[in-house]
Amino acid sequence: MVGLPSATAWVVFGFPIFWLAYTIIFLFVSRGWKKEAGDKEVEE
Amino acid sequence: MSSVVLIFLILYYAVVVGIGFWAVRKGGAKDMEGYLLGGRQVGPLVTALTLQSTSMSGYMFLGAGSAGYTTGYWAIWYAAGDIGGGVVNLSIIGRRMRKFSKIFGSLTSIEYLENRYPHAATRLIAGILSVFFLYFYVLAQFIAGGKGMALVTGLPYWVALTIAVAIIMIYTFLGGYFAVAYTDFFQSLVMVIGVVWILIATLNAVGGWAEANAQLAELDPTYLSIWGKDLQYQGQWGEVAGAVLIFSVGYMGWPHVVTRHLAMTNPQTARLAGMYSTLWNLLFVTSPYIVGIMAILILPNLGDPEMAIFSVAGKLLPGAVTGIVMAAIMAAIMSTADSILLQVGTIASRDIFYRFIKPDASDKHMVWVSRILILVMGAIGFVIALLQPPGVFDIVVFTTSVLGSAFLPSYVCAVWWKKANTPGAISSMVGGALTAFLWDSSGLAAATTTHPMLAGLVISFILMIVVSLATQKSSPVKENIIKAMDEAAKLGPIPKGMIASMDTNLTSESKGVSDSLNGNK
Repeated sequence: MVGLPSATAWVVFGFPIFWLAYTIIFLFVSRGWKKEAGDKEVEE
Repeated sequence: MSSVVLIFLILYYAVVVGIGFWAVRKGGAKDMEGYLLGGRQVGPLVTALTLQSTSMSGYMFLGAGSAGYTTGYWAIWYAAGDIGGGVVNLSIIGRRMRKFSKIFGSLTSIEYLENRYPHAATRLIAGILSVFFLYFYVLAQFIAGGKGMALVTGLPYWVALTIAVAIIMIYTFLGGYFAVAYTDFFQSLVMVIGVVWILIATLNAVGGWAEANAQLAELDPTYLSIWGKDLQYQGQWGEVAGAVLIFSVGYMGWPHVVTRHLAMTNPQTARLAGMYSTLWNLLFVTSPYIVGIMAILILPNLGDPEMAIFSVAGKLLPGAVTGIVMAAIMAAIMSTADSILLQVGTIASRDIFYRFIKPDASDKHMVWVSRILILVMGAIGFVIALLQPPGVFDIVVFTTSVLGSAFLPSYVCAVWWKKANTPGAISSMVGGALTAFLWDSSGLAAATTTHPMLAGLVISFILMIVVSLATQKSSPVKENIIKAMDEAAKLGPIPKGMIASMDTNLTSESKGVSDSLNGNK
């Protein structure tokens, strides 16, 4: 890809894809965190 | 110097200082929580961009360019980890650290460590390690600013350095964290625009990415190898692991970066901030390395590789665009230097002076002590930067390795491992820092082909685990800390009684914050 050896292409393009996937999975797994988005961080 | 470049730089500086004044008017520096954490009112977008722009320093324009220029595609290993640095940090410790710090009223990342690993030695050792190594780091930023601006504008080095340091000092001095966070936000946008612009111009100049790689292969095919020019790192997986880890997990050990967690509006902020961090990193992180690699074709006889990106900008871009790129470079430098200056001033004043020398100082007194220390340290840094110490890449990789090795296990275990205790944390900090510090100079790096960051991290984690387990009977983790960890793990508001119950076991400054939370102030 773009004239790079395959190992180099894997590193150049593979890591960004991996981190994008990590972020999407993180957003999915942490969807329950919305419970802490309110103004009241400490219970009344 | 081109007048267009000058106009852009003046405009940029004016906006940055203007944001500093705006932060003061908004009341960010009224008390210690306001000065140090922006009153814990920083939302996800600003959190993400201040975290990223603080992490990405002048290194990205000097060190990254130099690494690409001298080693070819090997340098991409550093970018490979760096892209995930923000989301890793926010997803692993961000939310829990924010919540734990709220329960204990921690206002600094070092105070947080003492609250979690209660002992004066925790704060003293962590404070001294941080001040010493972060100061090295800020020096690297001063040098980068002076060298870069001198090259592009034609000003003498000392004049360029004076301007850069003066601007940083003004807004850090005035507005504290709030000013730093919002100037970082603006600067992160300038950084992305500048770096994308220079990447496009560079790829245009070399006839496209594929064509450039074909030319590099003709020149020396090992430039395209993932093992570096002349295959100098072939099979050295210890070096590869260190290069990836240093900027992926390493940020979790930087006191001035994890402070961003304490300042978030609420724990949920970490979630969206993680997404913004990745998006920003995808645009920004790899580009300086690629420009450095392409500079091999554009400027084959460059004397100082650290000037690769500056020189490419000067050669390829018209005056107006050079001004934007120059502003981006100064943004990277200044957004890191201001955060570190604030952090070093804070640690020296609050975690050392206030904690050990004058515990009865008022909030207002402490803000001024912090400001005066920032001024003094900035002045000393300016003088040392005039003497031009070692290269920016070397300083940044060295200090990052030491700080990451010293603090990463302590910050991660603080919220994830209930058996992590004070002796374990202190051993981990000292052992990790010493290992990373001595790894190169002792010859072990060459003998084992292992990066100092990897060696430091392994030793630091081993010490944390072994010493904590061995001292569980003599130094058990206190019940209130375990309860706070359980609460940090849960989702939802913190019970009011939880915060109140912590007060009896805390230092006086933590109690003050808890009192105000409970409406007793």
